[in-house]
Amino acid sequence: MSFTTRGAFAAFILSLPVFSPPTGELIAEEPTVRFSRDILPILSDRCFHCHGPDESHREADLRLDVHDEAIADRGGYSAIVPGMPDESEIISRVLTEDDDLLMPPPDSHRKPLTETEIQTLRSWIASGATWGKHWAFEPPIRLAVAENEPSKPIDALVRRRLSEVGMTPSPTASKSTLIRRASFDLIGLPPTAEEVDAFQRDTSDDAYEKLIDRLLQSPHHGERMAMWWLDVARYADTDGFQGDATRTNWPYRDWVVNAFHRNQPFDQFTIEQFAGDLLPEATPEQILATCFHRNHMTNGEGGRDPEESRIDYVIDRVNTTGTVWLGLTLGCTQCHSHKFDPISHQDYYSLFAFFNSIDEDGKAGDNAKPYLKYESPAADGAVAEAQAWSDRCIQSESEAKEAAQKGFGDWLSQRIASITNAESNFTPWTSPIIRSLDSNEGTVLTQEADGAIVASGPTLRQDDYRIVAQSDLPNITGFRIEVLRDDSLTDGKWTRGKDGIFILTNIKLQVRKVGDSQVREIDVDKATANIEVKVKGRNYGLVSDTLNDDPRNGWTLAEDTKSSLTPTAVFALSSSLTLAADEELILWMMHRSTEGDANIGRFRISLTDQPGLAVRSVDPMPIEELAKDVASEDLSDDSTSIEKQINTKLRERLVDQFLFDHPEFQAAKQVADSSRRHLASAKKAAGKLNVMVLGERKEPRETYVLQRGVWDQKGDAVTRGFPAAILPQANDRSLSRLDLATWLVDPQNPLTARVIVNHLWQIAFGDGLVRTPEDFGLQGEPPAHPDVLDWLAVELIESGWDVRHVLRMIVTSDTYKQRSETTATATEADPDNRMLARGARYRLPSWMIRDAALHSSGLLNATLGGPPVMPYQPPGVWEEIFMGRYTYEPSPGPAQYRRTLYAFWRRSSAPTFLFDSAQRRVCEVKTMRTNTPLHALTLLNDVGMLEAAAEIARRSIASHEKMDSQLTQLFRRILSRDPDAAELDVMRETLSTSVEHFAKLPDEARTLTSIGQAEPDGEADQVTENPAELAAFMIVASLVMNLDEAISHE
Amino acid sequence: MSNQVDAAQHAAAYQHALDVSRRYFLGRCTGIGIGAIALAVLESANSRASFANSQEPSPIGLPSLPHHKPKAKNVIFLTQSGGPSQIELFDHKPGLIDLAGQELPDSVRQGQRLTTMTSNQKQLIMPPRTSFRRYGQSGATIGEWLPYHAEVADELCFIKSMVTDEINHAPAMTKFLTGHQLPGRPSLGAWASYGLGSENRNLPDYLVLISKMQRPSDQPLYDHYWGSGFLPSRYQGVKLRNAKEPVLYLRDPDGLPRDIRRSMLDSIAKMNEMRLEKTGDPEIETRIKQYEMAWRMQSSVPELNDLSDEPEETFELYGSDSRRPGSYAANCILARRLIERGVRFVQLFHPDWDHHSRLSSWCVARCRDTDQASAALVTDLKRRGLLDETLVVWGGEFGRGVAGQGEWNSPEGGRDHHPRCFTVWAAGGGIRSGMSYGATDDFSYNVVENPVHVRDLHATILHLLGIDHQRFTYRFQGLDFKLTGVEASRVVNEILV
Repeated sequence: MSFTTRGAFAAFILSLPVFSPPTGELIAEEPTVRFSRDILPILSDRCFHCHGPDESHREADLRLDVHDEAIADRGGYSAIVPGMPDESEIISRVLTEDDDLLMPPPDSHRKPLTETEIQTLRSWIASGATWGKHWAFEPPIRLAVAENEPSKPIDALVRRRLSEVGMTPSPTASKSTLIRRASFDLIGLPPTAEEVDAFQRDTSDDAYEKLIDRLLQSPHHGERMAMWWLDVARYADTDGFQGDATRTNWPYRDWVVNAFHRNQPFDQFTIEQFAGDLLPEATPEQILATCFHRNHMTNGEGGRDPEESRIDYVIDRVNTTGTVWLGLTLGCTQCHSHKFDPISHQDYYSLFAFFNSIDEDGKAGDNAKPYLKYESPAADGAVAEAQAWSDRCIQSESEAKEAAQKGFGDWLSQRIASITNAESNFTPWTSPIIRSLDSNEGTVLTQEADGAIVASGPTLRQDDYRIVAQSDLPNITGFRIEVLRDDSLTDGKWTRGKDGIFILTNIKLQVRKVGDSQVREIDVDKATANIEVKVKGRNYGLVSDTLNDDPRNGWTLAEDTKSSLTPTAVFALSSSLTLAADEELILWMMHRSTEGDANIGRFRISLTDQPGLAVRSVDPMPIEELAKDVASEDLSDDSTSIEKQINTKLRERLVDQFLFDHPEFQAAKQVADSSRRHLASAKKAAGKLNVMVLGERKEPRETYVLQRGVWDQKGDAVTRGFPAAILPQANDRSLSRLDLATWLVDPQNPLTARVIVNHLWQIAFGDGLVRTPEDFGLQGEPPAHPDVLDWLAVELIESGWDVRHVLRMIVTSDTYKQRSETTATATEADPDNRMLARGARYRLPSWMIRDAALHSSGLLNATLGGPPVMPYQPPGVWEEIFMGRYTYEPSPGPAQYRRTLYAFWRRSSAPTFLFDSAQRRVCEVKTMRTNTPLHALTLLNDVGMLEAAAEIARRSIASHEKMDSQLTQLFRRILSRDPDAAELDVMRETLSTSVEHFAKLPDEARTLTSIGQAEPDGEADQVTENPAELAAFMIVASLVMNLDEAISHE
Repeated sequence: MSNQVDAAQHAAAYQHALDVSRRYFLGRCTGIGIGAIALAVLESANSRASFANSQEPSPIGLPSLPHHKPKAKNVIFLTQSGGPSQIELFDHKPGLIDLAGQELPDSVRQGQRLTTMTSNQKQLIMPPRTSFRRYGQSGATIGEWLPYHAEVADELCFIKSMVTDEINHAPAMTKFLTGHQLPGRPSLGAWASYGLGSENRNLPDYLVLISKMQRPSDQPLYDHYWGSGFLPSRYQGVKLRNAKEPVLYLRDPDGLPRDIRRSMLDSIAKMNEMRLEKTGDPEIETRIKQYEMAWRMQSSVPELNDLSDEPEETFELYGSDSRRPGSYAANCILARRLIERGVRFVQLFHPDWDHHSRLSSWCVARCRDTDQASAALVTDLKRRGLLDETLVVWGGEFGRGVAGQGEWNSPEGGRDHHPRCFTVWAAGGGIRSGMSYGATDDFSYNVVENPVHVRDLHATILHLLGIDHQRFTYRFQGLDFKLTGVEASRVVNEILV
């Protein structure tokens, strides 16, 4: 066997400190027992907790992680005596039957050593107990490939290992599988049918390599890689804690896409994100890159000490650095020295010191300096797109208005007729029929002959009144409470309390079926009063405060109110309510003020069916005014001439009211309003934005070891420095973040290249070579193919940190191209496919599933960059968390169909259509893959998925005339291959069953297929006259989109 | 519920679902090309065998659990978010009346951290805003704002010596529910679900119910409060929403009849079976099962949520607010229904206990929302014989300070956060009834007897579920994590039966 050593390497963009070249010291023959592979994991797992690096938990003053101490004479005996297992205390202590002596102690709940493990230890000691380091701390070694081995090193090394374990590789996957697999991995999207055809037709030797190069050049490749990096960077659009304020850091997201698109070398990529601001003549983009270390959550909770928050942010940066670059669980050393890895408590705070002098003060929201004022070049496109969409919507709104107004004349004539024909005068407000009156605390309520309700009985501090009523109005749009004076009340005012002033804290309206156990709550949209007080510093006053649950505010009058007006409040329902014959209304009037003694003494309730604006103001309703005019004979009673005599102002109010309740116009108006809001927010995003970035304070802060990791428990002072166990460096000058970045990508650093290569492997295989990508330390899982990992790590460094080059090597290997089908024997032999004797099969990340649906349906808007967008989400999700403070409004128009990368990420509520995704609260590098019914429900019922299914149905029907070709086309769009006969059978069957069903239900078919957003100016292309056919095809499309194959990397 | 299928249709659909899976089983057993391992997976899909090689346990729990015989099968956690005032509700300190308006002695405060809301004002003692009485044979002291609690006093165990480390809402609630102040750890419910699974195959193991309020709460209820942290996400709490769609994406789209959905799911299963045969990937088998479970949830959740089959007296017991879907009281009824259906962990949240000002109106309002229903839940569980196996816990993330915030003697006055002592009560599931445990000083400021840290409460809850908190770990990032963390914690044996 021959080996190569690592070659010399170039210095990169920055001049690096000079090192001696790596020694390339190699092991000629593998010994039977290898320290790092065989011994260290046993010691680490069973012994280091008490006999390891952490001095605070060390027992018997014994360290087994340090060679000299392990063999030291401990007064007549040693833990380990090289060459003499029977003399070694460690062996007798794992063999003893005495529970007091046995190691690990039974009460530690650590697994006792197995026979094999004991045997391994024995033979290691017998052969001289040769010491070494944990594998990941040794420099990576690149093994040479012999001539008789496969020419691609990955394949050669994988096959060596396979033959060691007696396994054989699988054959190459079909071309349609390969193009689908590579497209998902490299651009995050499936191939189009045309791309599959072209690839299948290309029989040249390098057809596959050409495909890979095309994919790697695609701008979508940058987006795909960014999705990896943004999870790692815990990138989000909000702060995360209390209030969860929005931030405008999205230009950083575009910076990441661009960095991958131009294949920025990973060392430079690292340096700019750590210290772009410290580079000579830093460009705005280099400063922008440092947003990486500001993507942590921020906490603006009232009452929180900002310094505590600031410490949290620094800790987050250290931990993120540890996870992403070093693959180490540095977080453990926040509180104490690492129990397994050679990182001390002191080391942690030496790293902490690099981030401790950022010019920040722990605040959140708009006060999270330092900021970069940045104007994104991508914003103009978003404005233009929003403008074009809004123009269309506004056009269609004005057309709808014009069309609606044609009906105004008739509507008005009807109103006038109803006023003039009515036997009695027009009554805008009617009294309900009171069914019962009671109260929580004991106030007695009775109704008098004139309809007024009067309180008697005990005079209480607080009480809730309950009024149960019925009404024969055809529909109810609002109600009114008049608070009446009475001589019997205090000072002839409104209550029986001390000063006669009432405080109504809350109202609630409910509906209940007579005799039914449950009520339903009726939403009240708006409350308006003719008198209320608005006094600064006084909590009681506004009638609108009666609509919340807070008894600390509510409706009241000023104490000196002498007005002869009757205090009147009008409440508008959110939507018109129609009571069934057996339903009754329940109105709660709650008096729960702190001041108390302010319960209303006399009042009247009325209801109205007058639409829209009429219940949003205490002014007389326009129809009421009209009726008054008619009644007072200001106007003649001939309806045509009445119409002509209506004054302009009244006429305007009447038109407004008419339009307010015109469903077609309102629908168009809603769409237009939404497009206006969208345009306004796009314009806002086009201005100068505050992007959170790094910047040093003038005076650096002192850094201390924080005892037990607690923010205000300062221990010894420390200076900036690097953990010596990873790569020592002299601390002879003052170090900066730039030095930290340079140290991370130092070719001598044994961790960074390995960790990053492992991430790239994970992108292509679903799992890394090391299956604990976050932990390369002693407690992490060792790689199944260490030689492949090392080979690629050296290659990454020597290629000048060329990420695309390494990724290309991975996806052009035969190992990658294997079929993913498995057999029972293969599954049994290697259930997790760690040996890589077959291709990887696993469920795609949920963002890829959404993007694939957009792409297969042709809905995808492939625009790059720009402000975040709001994909469909079920209504009310944000409102529930924040009780209405934030409203989620799906983006209108083309913005709806952007890739998931651009979806707005609220930390307290990640996009609901994503599952198993990183939460973007702290750095996450491991993919989560679960399989739950909630995922099934999401894929079956998400509006985005269904809209895509409808679109696929439309396009498939339009593309061919024959049903089988239509179905084949539909299948290909989604799965990139032709269906076989059996699959076609199932589709045909589903189609015909569905057509049959929907033929009887044309309205349902229309409803189903019109899910999603409609074009503002008309129907979508009419592909079929038959709604049942479209709906049935949509069902088939949704079916195929839900197949395991559709959502799997095969 | 408008989208609920009627009972007969439901039964028919369910039968059909069973038939499908039976057909599927038969088909598989005579199928081709599937070896022993695939069959084993299939026989026990989702059960221990298929998880033999991973950390992920089966839905009926980890094979190593329980560690000992459990006292409680289920937990209902009544989370009162914002920090209810122990001084007005449970921790009676009559001596404070004489000390009203005096400055809190430094000897009591002992450098206790204050929030930046009150660190600049004088710490003047505000006596309880209500009066107390003793109730039941146990003579528990309860404030008069909780008259219904008084009636069940002998069923409850009051832990008056609760302690936490956090003084702000989000970190304190995160610690109260996950054991650590920063988000990212699994919640108590997720641990329970991970360890023990649930007996109900039609509902998630861990459900979360949040009171429907009409005002924006000052303390958002983040979903990491019931998150699974580093545990697989299937163990996270599923929030039952007060919306047309109680679980996100539960409702089929408008215009899609149920029978078409059913036939579509049959076709998905058929084609997935074909793929399983071709690829041999056992994950497809799980996928087929999950689609069937999704179908069942579409009926079981609305059925659960529809209280119209509850007799009138249920609503009388829980109070008139229980007729209002989404209210705390209605959620208490739902919690009992969930327990009846074998759901492992139910967590209610009632917001707005953060009474910095106007305590005497705001706290009373929250008591009115929750008092009767909380007590009714205990009564209801008991008369149904469920209280013995159901642990009920009531509490918030911290307590409130003895000093007034704002003017101590004005109706405007409130109280700031206080982590050094607060009261939590528990009932049923192996808890000794009719007792008070632990004590605070005369100022309800420091614990002077039997402190119970949040970690100890967690250890005790796990213990009642049959779990030794020291041995219940999950390996993540190279460390064996446990709910109770690395600092000392203990099971509070003194409050156990």
